[in-house]
Amino acid sequence: MSPAGVGTTAAGLVRSRSSGRVADRDGGPLLPSAQAKRTERIIGIGAVVAVVGTVWLGLWVTPPDQTQGDLVRLVYLHPGVAWVALYLAFGLAAVASLLYLWPRTRSLFWDRLAAAAVEVGVVFNICTLISGSIWGKPTWGVWWVWDARLTSTAVLAVLFLGYLALRRVPSEPEVRAKRSAFVALFAAVDVPIVHFSVLWWKTLHQGATVLNPDLSPTIHGSMAWTLLLSFIALSLVFAWMLLVRYRIGVLEDRLGRGELESALAERRAEGVVADEDEAA
Amino acid sequence: MRYVVVGYAVVLGILFFYAVQLAWRRRRLTRAALRIEASSPEPGRSPGDAGPAADR
Repeated sequence: MSPAGVGTTAAGLVRSRSSGRVADRDGGPLLPSAQAKRTERIIGIGAVVAVVGTVWLGLWVTPPDQTQGDLVRLVYLHPGVAWVALYLAFGLAAVASLLYLWPRTRSLFWDRLAAAAVEVGVVFNICTLISGSIWGKPTWGVWWVWDARLTSTAVLAVLFLGYLALRRVPSEPEVRAKRSAFVALFAAVDVPIVHFSVLWWKTLHQGATVLNPDLSPTIHGSMAWTLLLSFIALSLVFAWMLLVRYRIGVLEDRLGRGELESALAERRAEGVVADEDEAA
Repeated sequence: MRYVVVGYAVVLGILFFYAVQLAWRRRRLTRAALRIEASSPEPGRSPGDAGPAADR
């Protein structure tokens, strides 16, 4: 049974009779509205402009550091990707998972949002590890050291890769959403460990430049503004990727269920034809 | 400076290729959704109703 003014397509999609638009049964539209497309385009263009600005300022305009020389230019990249991975992506995944588990706010929207945030977050987490390793070689003399900050960040990547692997196990959407939410919350416990690792243990990694306990940034002038721009640029990149990845999740869920329903309908039709042949 | 350039190239390269892959995945799935939508009957219309073309 469909509500008045609404029909269902073969793929299990919901189509409004008045607008003709195809929508997801769980609430959101299957195909993005013109407004959503425009917002996504604005964020995308903003991200590209901000990244180009960061690279230009970071590589050519800002001065070299007194002790690190030109290597300090990696500060406009490495903390930004770490910020996105740890606080934006995995933080959002934890909040969305919590909202899914909370009975009053339970919706597959939160599950898809968490899944999208984790996938994008893992990419940024890998970028954090790679950029940190490239910075570590000329400053520490090694590509990798089993330091508390580096190890906890690597563990974070492994935990959330496990989350993505778990989502690929075939199961009902609700079952998958519930166990994924528990895993996301478990993995997110590592985020504060990564953040405070430089304070709790003696590490080779330097302390926080901006988000330190005193909240007094130890970077100034054009270097501080370029660092801020890099955070904005990479946050915009994350926002664009999150929007696209969320849309992919909606399409995959609906098409997957649609394909299953089509296959079942075909099998039933085959059974009816076989029965008719036998009766004849 | 060599490490700096390599760092920027590797990280921005990974993000660029991931973004392209996302856009490609979404395009492929959107086309599939539109194809299924086009092949399904209009709501409120029976599957046997072929529309105005059938009246000719």
